[in-house]
Amino acid sequence: MRQLAAIAANTFKETIRDRVLAVIVVFALVMIAGGLWLGAISLGEQGRMMKDFGLVAVTGFGLIVAVFIAASLVHKEVDKRTVFVLFSKPVSRAAFITGKFLGLCGTMAVVLAGMGLFLFALVWLLQGSPSFMVLAAVLMIYVQLLAIIAVTIFFSTLGSAILASVLGICVFVAGQLSHNVLALTRLGSNTVTEALSWVIYVLIPNLTAVDVKAGVVGEQTLAWGQISLWVVYLLAYVVVVLALATVIFRRKEF
Amino acid sequence: MLRRVVTVILVLACAGGVIAYQATRRGKAPANPRVFVPSPTFFLDFSPSFRTSIADAYYLYMIQYYGEHVSGDGRLDSLPAMTRLVTTLSPHFTRAYLFSAFGLIDAGRPDVAYEILQKGFKANPGEWRFPAYLAFFIYTFGEKGPVKNELAADWYQKAAAIPGSPSYLPRLAARLLVKTGEREKAILMWGQAYLAGDKYARKKSVNGIRSVLPEGREASLKVLAPLSDTMPEADFKALLADLFPEGKL
Amino acid sequence: MPDPKETRIVLDLADVHKTVHVGFRRRPLEILRGVDLSVEESEVFGLLGPNGAGKTTTIKVALGLMRATSGSVELGVDGLGKVGYLPENPYFYDYLSGREFLGFCARLFELAPEILSQRIDELLRDVGLQGAASTHLRKYSKGMLQRIGIAQALVNDPELLLLDEPMTGLDPIGRVEVKRIIERLHERGKTVLFNSHILSDVHELCSHIAIICEGRVVWRGEVAEALDEARTLEDFFVRVVTA
Repeated sequence: MRQLAAIAANTFKETIRDRVLAVIVVFALVMIAGGLWLGAISLGEQGRMMKDFGLVAVTGFGLIVAVFIAASLVHKEVDKRTVFVLFSKPVSRAAFITGKFLGLCGTMAVVLAGMGLFLFALVWLLQGSPSFMVLAAVLMIYVQLLAIIAVTIFFSTLGSAILASVLGICVFVAGQLSHNVLALTRLGSNTVTEALSWVIYVLIPNLTAVDVKAGVVGEQTLAWGQISLWVVYLLAYVVVVLALATVIFRRKEF
Repeated sequence: MLRRVVTVILVLACAGGVIAYQATRRGKAPANPRVFVPSPTFFLDFSPSFRTSIADAYYLYMIQYYGEHVSGDGRLDSLPAMTRLVTTLSPHFTRAYLFSAFGLIDAGRPDVAYEILQKGFKANPGEWRFPAYLAFFIYTFGEKGPVKNELAADWYQKAAAIPGSPSYLPRLAARLLVKTGEREKAILMWGQAYLAGDKYARKKSVNGIRSVLPEGREASLKVLAPLSDTMPEADFKALLADLFPEGKL
Repeated sequence: MPDPKETRIVLDLADVHKTVHVGFRRRPLEILRGVDLSVEESEVFGLLGPNGAGKTTTIKVALGLMRATSGSVELGVDGLGKVGYLPENPYFYDYLSGREFLGFCARLFELAPEILSQRIDELLRDVGLQGAASTHLRKYSKGMLQRIGIAQALVNDPELLLLDEPMTGLDPIGRVEVKRIIERLHERGKTVLFNSHILSDVHELCSHIAIICEGRVVWRGEVAEALDEARTLEDFFVRVVTA
């Protein structure tokens, strides 16, 4: 456990101190603030525009940070040969993968908290009242990105960092279309297509199930009980993906 | 040294040219008022997580499109498609419906305006503005005749029945009901206006009721009798007192 | 110094083969072709060989960073918890300071928190980096990185130390300091195995050497034996390798 904590803390320090991350976050804050300009041309819907586009910016930039850092976490260690320093010590591959994941989770929490609180403050300024639903939406975005981080780390154990980034983004997009895949499983016309659809549906994380952006602007009635269960599902999904990543990483030689 | 000076002058000249061109070039509306608007079905199949964001983006685009063309070539050919897209993706986006409705009237498409407002009311039955605007549009832009008064009155009544609606709506309904010859319903509407309104509204309601009452106190009371079922007793008595002050009737 | 009669073998490689698969077609390439190597306790052992002979691969197989295709590898110490390793041309974490990096390494060995800080201070002093302890590693020179690398290899007070080109990048003062560290470790009964192309250092420090050529140990023995057969260690090396 101490090893896990040490690797997680090390990963957190390494990633949070990266200047590129700071630049991305500053850019994200500028884009979120850009919602003020959009609100000005919305004929009185400033609050809605700020919330909607702000949350899209948080999602987009959060995804960029998550995918590009997660993809390079393992690769950087191998390329720069810091794996030699790590695995010449009694460190298990499982502790390495899990520690890397937890460290990046910490970094993402800081990044999303920063963006989320900034958006919350801007919305409060515009509307005159706090909207705690914005914070809830950011929390759900965080949960989605945890799944994407895990998936990207898994792909990074298989191939290059660039490929892992691209696949991570693809899985995010696919996760938004999960309900379409489910519809394919119910076509009833072809058993093979249905079976394949079921496999794909299970493999792809269902990210829309925990998305509450529509609820923030009043377009969706939120069933928090259901959403909580989906959150637990995503966390279980993360555990399975990390386990698979560990199995693959165990076979690697340096 | 000379090369550096020349480089700086060149860069400054280019920067000046860029700024001058942008500052003096007038922004104008795109030549074609018909723009591509995707079908709502395409985006409905897309992620539910981003539907409202896409609706908002098209809403802003719609406002810009309206602004560019309404005072330019006056053609708003793509406004109906944009309206349908935004309201399908975001059914509870009230302002989008209302803005679109006025825009569609400007575009010479009152039929689509009515369709959009009815769609909005179906999705948002608690929003009084939809039936109120429908009544207004029918009365203002509809074909002259008793049908439009009837329809408008009907929508005003629906609007007046929604909790939180303004107190003037029953009076508007009452005036139209008088025109359609439905005196009893008109009196009920004025009664509702009397209950909800301030001193001014009460005075207007009393004058309105008085204008349709028959001659004679007995006959008037008979006509007013159904009103007693819709008002608290104290308010009904106050109304009667206002209608029949000493020396009148 | 331990009693010579009771020396044990701390590292034993027996007929170790290692094949890797390279290229698009995954062609097999045999890097180690039957390496036999045993290192006794408290030896300072030099592993020599031309470039590409398999020295680094031998060390990696010994540490478990690579798995032997066949043969046996035995560590006579209590697992990797008692081994220290310095890789060739070490590169560490950009945004950690020297102190933070050693702290991280110490935690990987689960060193008790109460001795952690003291141990780190000692190591920084031993490698002459007290002044740069709070500086991020990305600002370290090559020599400083080499020194912090040695420090991290010593953080767990290992019984067996594997150093891959430990003198690389060091100025003469740095090289003297590293040699002194190795000598001190030897005096304390630690076992040190290192690769080096600087044969004068090998001559000065090592009691035993092995020469690897094309994936095989072609000669193994005491330094004194080698010098019986040639004027200098360089001459001996060239003769063995070219034979």
